[in-house]
Amino acid sequence: MIKKFGLTFGGLQQKILNLVLVFILAIMAVVVAVSVYLSNTLTKVVDKSSEDQKSAITRISGETMSKILDSTMTQTTSMQAFIADNIFSEVRGNVMGLKEYAEYLYTHPDEYQDKPVYDPKPENDGKTSVQLQHEAAVNPADDPHLGLAANMSELMLAMYENSKVLNSCFIATVDGNIIFVDDRAGANFDADGKLQTFEVRQRPWYTGAKDTGDLYFTGIELDAFTNIPGLVCSAPVYADGKLVAVVGADIFLYQISEFINNSAKDNGFECIVNQNGEIIFSPQKEGTFKASLSDQATDLRSGENKELGELITKSLQESTGIKTVTVDNKTYYLCGEPMKTVSWAVITAVDKELTDQPTKALINSFETINTQAQDDYHNSAGKSQQTILVMTVIILVLASVVALIVAGKIVKPVECMTKRIDEISGTDLAFELDDSYHTGDEIEVLAQAFATLSKRTINYIDQITRITAEKERIGAELSLATKIQADMLPNLFPAFPERPEFDIYATMTPAKEVGGDFYDFFLIDNNHLGLVMADVSGKGVPAALFMMMSKILVNNYAQMGGSPARVLELTNAQICKNNDEEMFVTVWFGVLDITSGIVTAANAGHEFPILRKADGSFELFKDKHGFVIGGMDGMKYRDYQFKLEKGGTLFLYTDGVAEATNSQNQLFGTDRMLAALNTDPQAPPKVLLENMKKAVDEFVGDAPQFDDLTMLSVKLL
Amino acid sequence: MNIQKTVKGTALTISISGRIDTTTAPALEQELKSSLDGCTELTFDFAEVAYISSAGLRVLLSAQKTMNKQGSMKLKNANSSIMDIFEVTGFTEILTIE
Repeated sequence: MIKKFGLTFGGLQQKILNLVLVFILAIMAVVVAVSVYLSNTLTKVVDKSSEDQKSAITRISGETMSKILDSTMTQTTSMQAFIADNIFSEVRGNVMGLKEYAEYLYTHPDEYQDKPVYDPKPENDGKTSVQLQHEAAVNPADDPHLGLAANMSELMLAMYENSKVLNSCFIATVDGNIIFVDDRAGANFDADGKLQTFEVRQRPWYTGAKDTGDLYFTGIELDAFTNIPGLVCSAPVYADGKLVAVVGADIFLYQISEFINNSAKDNGFECIVNQNGEIIFSPQKEGTFKASLSDQATDLRSGENKELGELITKSLQESTGIKTVTVDNKTYYLCGEPMKTVSWAVITAVDKELTDQPTKALINSFETINTQAQDDYHNSAGKSQQTILVMTVIILVLASVVALIVAGKIVKPVECMTKRIDEISGTDLAFELDDSYHTGDEIEVLAQAFATLSKRTINYIDQITRITAEKERIGAELSLATKIQADMLPNLFPAFPERPEFDIYATMTPAKEVGGDFYDFFLIDNNHLGLVMADVSGKGVPAALFMMMSKILVNNYAQMGGSPARVLELTNAQICKNNDEEMFVTVWFGVLDITSGIVTAANAGHEFPILRKADGSFELFKDKHGFVIGGMDGMKYRDYQFKLEKGGTLFLYTDGVAEATNSQNQLFGTDRMLAALNTDPQAPPKVLLENMKKAVDEFVGDAPQFDDLTMLSVKLL
Repeated sequence: MNIQKTVKGTALTISISGRIDTTTAPALEQELKSSLDGCTELTFDFAEVAYISSAGLRVLLSAQKTMNKQGSMKLKNANSSIMDIFEVTGFTEILTIE
C-alpha cells in the first residue's frame, strides 16, 4: 500500500472505490448504449418521417395543384377564348357591316351622291377624321368611284367611335385609293411634313381579301406608316360579281394584349394561334411562344416540338384539356381552346415550375421547419449526449468522492486499529473499544477481538509481572539464603592463623543458588580439630534447610565431646524424629588430634576420604561406611582411626566432585581426582583446591554443573 | 531417564534406564507414589541405570520405607559404579540387592 495525499492506494479504500467506479461505469455504459441506440433510432424515425412527409406533401400538393389548375385553366382558357373570339367577332361583324354597306353602295350608286374626301391634315392629328390616301402612282381624281366610296365615311366614323378595339377602319378602291377613319392624321406625314403614300393594293389585307374572296385576317403586320405591329381584318366588296373595293379594320396588337393581358395571371400567359398554327399574339418576348410578324412566323403544328404541335392542332378544333408539355426546356401546363369566329385558338400556358412553386415553397418551408426541427433535435440530442457525458463525469466525481468518504469511513476504524496496535508497546497495552469501532460489522468483531486480546495480554502481563516479581523476590531471598549459607560455613582464611601446626582450606560452589553440601571445621578443644564434610540429598532450599539443621546438630553434638560415631548416631536420631520428607544427609565426621596426627572418624554414607602420606601421593582411604543420616532411625556407626603424618594432607569432598559430568556424560571419577591432586601433591590446601577446581572445570567444559562442588583439605605442618 | 513398569498381580517390576539425579528423581518419586498402592512385591531393575545421585537414593529409601510396611522390595542388576555408590552411602545395609 502506498500513502499519498491522505489517500491509501492499494488499500481497502481504493478497492471500494474501484468497485464503485466499475459499478457506475457499467451502469453508465448501459445508459449511454441505450440512449445512443434510442437516439439513433429516433433520428432514423425522424429522418424517415420527414422524407415521408415531404413526398406526401409533394404528392398531395401536386395533386391538389393539378386539380385546381385543371379546372381553373380549362375554365380560364375557355373564357379567354370566348373573350378573344368576341373581340374578333366584333371586328368581323364590323368588317362584314362595312362590306354589306359598301356592296349596297356599289350596287345602288344612283341612290347616293358623290361625297368629297380629303387628304389627311396634320392639324387633325389626335382627332378622329376621315382621310384619303393613295398609291404613289395614283391620282385620286382619276378614281370614278371615290365619291361613292366616300359615302362610307359616316358609317366608318360611327363604327370607329363605338368600338374599343378598332384602330382604324377603311375602304380601299380597286384603283389604289383608300378612305379611312382614325385619329392619327399626323402619321401620314414624314419628318419633313410631306404627305406620304403607300401601295394600297399590295398590302396583305388587300391581296388576302382579294385572293380568298372572303373575310380575311392578316397575320401580324407592321402598320404602313407607324410600323406598329397589328393585324387587319378585311373583306372584298363585290358588285355584279366584280371586285370593286376592299373594306377592313385595323387592330393593333397592344390593344389585344391589353385586353388579354388583363386576364393573364402571374404564373401564366395566354397566346393566340391562328389557323396556320402561327402565334399571332403572345406576351412572350422571345422563345417559341413569341408572336412574330407573318413573314417570320412558323407553323408550330409541324414544328420540332411534336407534343406542342399536336396540342395546337387539336386546340384549333376543340378543347384540349390540360397537357404537360416541355417547351424551350421549360415545362408548362398547356390548355388550348378554339376561337370559333376566327378559327384560331387561345393557348393558356402556365409554367409548371411556377405552379409547383407553392408546393416547393411548402416543401421548402416544411424542410426549413423540418431541418430546424431536426437541427434542434440533433442539437438537443448532442446536448443530451453532452449532458450525459457531463452527468457521467459529475456522477463519477461525486461517486468517487462519496466512495472515498464511505471507504474512508469503513477503512478509518481499521487504520485507527492498526495505528493503535502499532502504538501498543511497553506499559501502554490497552486497546480501548471506543465509539469509532461500533460499526456493526466485521470490523467491530475484529476490534472486540483485539480488545479481548488486549485485556488478556494485560492480565497475562500482570500475571507474568507478579510471577516475575515473586521469582525475583524468591531469587533475592535465595541469594540472601545463599549468602547466609555461605556465611554459616567458616570461610575466613587463614582460619587459624595462631595455629602454625596445620593449614586448612575449604570451598563450596553450589550448583543452584543454595546447595545441600556443607563442610565444617572447628576446634573442639585446643588439640582437637573437628572436620565435617556432608552432602544433603536433593538440592535447593529444602536441602539448604536440612543442611543447616544437620550442620548445627553435628557441630553441637561434636562440641559435647562424643566420639564421631556417637555424634552421628545422635544426629541421626534427632533428624529422624521429624523427617517426613525422608531427606537424608551423608556425613563424614572426623576429629584430628593435632599433636599426634591421629584422626578418629565415622562415615555415614559419605565418599571415601583421600589421604597423602608425608612423602607419598594422594590415595583413596577406603574406610568403613555406615548408612546415611536421616534415612533410618537407630542406625549404628563405627569409629575408625588413621594417622595424618606431618607434611601429609587429608582431602575431603562431596560427590559433586567425583561425579562432575562432561558433555559426553562421562563422570570425572576418583581417578581423575587423584591425578589432579597429584599434579602438585606438596601444594598447600588452597592450591590443591584450586587445582582440583580447574581440573573439574576443564573436564566439564560447557556441560551444566549438576551438583555442588565442595572440598576441604587439611595439611599438617 | 525412562521408567518401565511391569505388573504381575501385586508384584511390580520397575525398570529404569539413564540417570537418576536431582532433575529426574522427582518423576520417579511421582511414579512410585501412584504405583505402590496394593503392591506387595516391588523390584527395581537397575540394569540400564548409569548414575544415581543422593536425590535418587532418597527416592529408593522412601520406597524401601513404604514397602517395609506392605511387603518386600529388592533391587537387581545394578552395575559396579552404582554398587560403589550404594556401598559408600551405606545403602547396601538397608536395601535387598541381588
